[in-house]
Amino acid sequence: MKLKLFVIALAAIGLLSATSVLGQSYAITNARIVTVSGATIDRGTVVVRDGLIEAVGANVSAPADAKIFDGAGLTVYPGFFDSLTNLGLAAPPRPAGGPGAQAAAQQQTAQASTSNYPVGLRPEDAAGDQINAAEAQYESARNAGFTTALTVGRTGIFNGQSAIVNLAGGSASAMIVKSPAALHISFTGIPGQYPGSLLGMFSATRQMFYDARRHQELQKMYAENPRGMRRPEADRSLEALIPALNREIPVVFNANSEIEIIRAIDLAREFNLRLIIAGGQGAGGIVDRLKKADASVLLSMNFPKRTTASSPDADPESLEVLRFRAEVPKTAAKLAQGGIPFAFQSGALTNLNDLSANAALAIQNGLTADAAIRAMTLAPAEIFGISDRTGSIETGKIANLTVVRGDIFGKEKTITHVFVDGKLFEPKAPPARPAGTGGGTGTPTTVGGNWSITIDVPGQPLSGTLNFTQQAGVLTGQLTTQLGTTPIRDGRVTGNSFSFTATVQFGGVALDLNVNGTVTGDKVSGTIDSPQGTVPFSGTRVP
Amino acid sequence: MRLLKLLSLFFVAIFCFGSERAAAQMQGEVLIRNATVMTASRGNLQNTDILIRDGKIQRIGRNISAGSGASVIDATGKYVTPGIIDAHSHTMMNAVNEGTLSVTSMTRIRDVLDPGNIAIYRGLAGGVTAALLLHGSANAIGGQSVTVKFKYGKPVEDFPVAGAPEGIKFAMGENPKRSSQVFQAGQTPRYPRTRMGVLEVMRDAFRRAQDYKRAWDDFRAKKTRVPPRRDLELEPIVEILEGKRIVHAHGYRSDEQLNLLLLADEFGFKVGTLQHGLEAYKFAPEIAKHGAGVSIFVDSWSYKIEAYDNTPYNAYILWKNGVNVSINSDSNERMRRLNLDAAKVMKYGGVPEQDALKMITLNPAIQLGIGNRTGSIDQGKDGDIVIWSEHPFSPYAHVEMTMIEGEIFFDRSADIARRDALQKEREELERLDVNRAPGSGGTPPRIPAERIRGDLDDADDIGGGQRR
Repeated sequence: MKLKLFVIALAAIGLLSATSVLGQSYAITNARIVTVSGATIDRGTVVVRDGLIEAVGANVSAPADAKIFDGAGLTVYPGFFDSLTNLGLAAPPRPAGGPGAQAAAQQQTAQASTSNYPVGLRPEDAAGDQINAAEAQYESARNAGFTTALTVGRTGIFNGQSAIVNLAGGSASAMIVKSPAALHISFTGIPGQYPGSLLGMFSATRQMFYDARRHQELQKMYAENPRGMRRPEADRSLEALIPALNREIPVVFNANSEIEIIRAIDLAREFNLRLIIAGGQGAGGIVDRLKKADASVLLSMNFPKRTTASSPDADPESLEVLRFRAEVPKTAAKLAQGGIPFAFQSGALTNLNDLSANAALAIQNGLTADAAIRAMTLAPAEIFGISDRTGSIETGKIANLTVVRGDIFGKEKTITHVFVDGKLFEPKAPPARPAGTGGGTGTPTTVGGNWSITIDVPGQPLSGTLNFTQQAGVLTGQLTTQLGTTPIRDGRVTGNSFSFTATVQFGGVALDLNVNGTVTGDKVSGTIDSPQGTVPFSGTRVP
Repeated sequence: MRLLKLLSLFFVAIFCFGSERAAAQMQGEVLIRNATVMTASRGNLQNTDILIRDGKIQRIGRNISAGSGASVIDATGKYVTPGIIDAHSHTMMNAVNEGTLSVTSMTRIRDVLDPGNIAIYRGLAGGVTAALLLHGSANAIGGQSVTVKFKYGKPVEDFPVAGAPEGIKFAMGENPKRSSQVFQAGQTPRYPRTRMGVLEVMRDAFRRAQDYKRAWDDFRAKKTRVPPRRDLELEPIVEILEGKRIVHAHGYRSDEQLNLLLLADEFGFKVGTLQHGLEAYKFAPEIAKHGAGVSIFVDSWSYKIEAYDNTPYNAYILWKNGVNVSINSDSNERMRRLNLDAAKVMKYGGVPEQDALKMITLNPAIQLGIGNRTGSIDQGKDGDIVIWSEHPFSPYAHVEMTMIEGEIFFDRSADIARRDALQKEREELERLDVNRAPGSGGTPPRIPAERIRGDLDDADDIGGGQRR
């Protein structure tokens, strides 16, 4: 009896505290409201309460208890949705790139999981289990107007299962809108072991899908009549593939070029998977195939541009590359025209504001502004089956809203308010870009920029370029050598020193490089550790 | 002449607007008039016409008249040969080796084809119309090969030759035993490390495949209740044992290549081709008796220890012993001049002209199992045709036109006509912001030159390898 009272009391406290957090209601009045699902309201009110949209319309009046914002001159959009990110997920610890990397990787495999498969072939890895909820890390995304993101691991053949999260909430369980959202697959190899190449990626993936199908059949056989049959072994990796084989969750293939997209379509057809293409920049010429495959596209808005410096002893870039860069801004319009469902994703853009700038480019190339807004709101919600609860401004939907002064696709714009699950964030003006973290000499040093380097491989010096973007202590960009262009990972800047890792393909296997360097004025020098040993490099800044 | 020009224009149009893809099977008629036709099967025919209808060679003879819709190509003074077939190539592949395991029979070259690779077009410009695309030689048993025609500009699924027998790469010697690989501390060297180990890996795989087949046979005979696991590694090896998959075996030394033939006898299958076979001349009668083909370079050796004991008379000796010999390139670069390699076979030993020509046309077609449909200019075969400016064994000869199944895929005059437009397009593209080098103020973009590394057989997956 006492216990019951206690429970009621607890419940009441719980309710009270919930009310105190969520109970605050807001009303944005006199604003232009782009509902996306219906007609745009030129002048109206949106009311937010308890994390939901309580009311929206031209003739809605603000409740008495609501905090009111005068939205004159403002536009309210459904909160922006980045349909592919790694937000909230730590970069996985990578085995050091030195000698013994293979053994280290195997050891890691043995310790980290009871899976029968190596790291990189574990479809059971779920972003929803790994997400770090600390709110601060989502701030830059919110400041750019994003309230929702799909997030998934970034390495391996199976990147794992993604989660769709709202970008605030304080705990993973509060943030998750849908998990698992999809299974994610990349066309890559696993460093140091089978499958180490694109060839092996196909055969290993195929074998696992066949094994998963058989696993399901054997489980069924055993459930019906276990006598006289050895019990099928449990296998969490294969079990994680079964929902994909049964079309209960879609499969996202990271495929950017035309031929990669065709490969994804072919592989998905082989196992009757629900196909989503991520990247998709080369999709413009094969819209008919995508239509036939009933595929959706998470289009990368990280548009390609030349980042390598000129070199007098190099061949011109191929016409194919030059054409590709010119064609990418046209892809969104072609997808729209062909009736392919598509959503925008940031594609590892370091500055999310570039996403709307590139969306503006897509609009210049034939996409309607409405379709562009849709691609970052309702379209991803539809693709992932959550448009009944989010993606548009409708009564009863999740209160994810982005309020903008100015044209969202124009140069002059300010994100004034962002609501995530009804919680208000007011982005501050972005701080001035750090001029560098120079060591007090008076001249600030920036690692960011382009560097032409020579890697001193004994008897065979290699030339290359480093293209860095530095934001505070974080370094992003790419490394280009004769082995190709590869993005850098785990880039850090401390003072005038920097470090990053990168993976290059050589000898049929992926090699991890650990790079450490120091910048002095316009000179750079350092070392590259690889399984083949350590070599020095040096170079100069390309203005 | 005007027709030729029209045709060229049409070709330019197709090329420039690649999205307008032609039907998979060429419809209509093409008439090549008044050529010296080197049939590769029935000698050379002077002043001869070839009529191709719906992709197939319809008639060969004099004064053939074509229907009103036919494209007519005047080849007066020109030589016509069958399309060249390269029986050892790694072109248009985005990966060459899955080097991690000693048996990678589960991998399929079909998965990694890149139909946009410019090397295909360059091959066409050298008269190549078909190729056997092989996995690299890093493993005792490598991946599944694919036989393609160079239908450059077509979608990827149009490249594999429909109905061509399946194949697989085997390899012996320095490459599969990883002689040149440096293993770091902590890294486990991959088994096998010796030639006897390579043979053991093969024998073991065949034994496992026999067991696998038995398990399925038992299940199908209802002797067992639970279906065996489908094994993508062993399935293709069972197909070898059943004679459904052709083995193309990389190797250099006569002792181990002979051992492979004996292993095949032991398991009751036939080796399709010995690839490279630099010492094949040492056991030519045994090869002839087994019925294997040999696919070689004419005069390239000494690039590694096991590749020293060779002679340019290799082709001649094998030919003399009745072995089906083909000459391959194993290289995007040498692929473009296989005609000159065939000419060298006449020089070294004096193989007759037609038999030399066969070594780059009909013989590789037979080795690939497509000899019934291409490889020679015969009625009923595919219209895979090359028109040469002069005798193809002349160093001055160049390809004027290459067609596959009656469709033109390379036309020298169209190529020349297209160059100004392409240059203009390039200049326009290079002016775009996205194509300008950062901070360069608009210097033409440049990338590091691709290093020519020789041959691709032992290539890593970065587009070039140092050794064959």
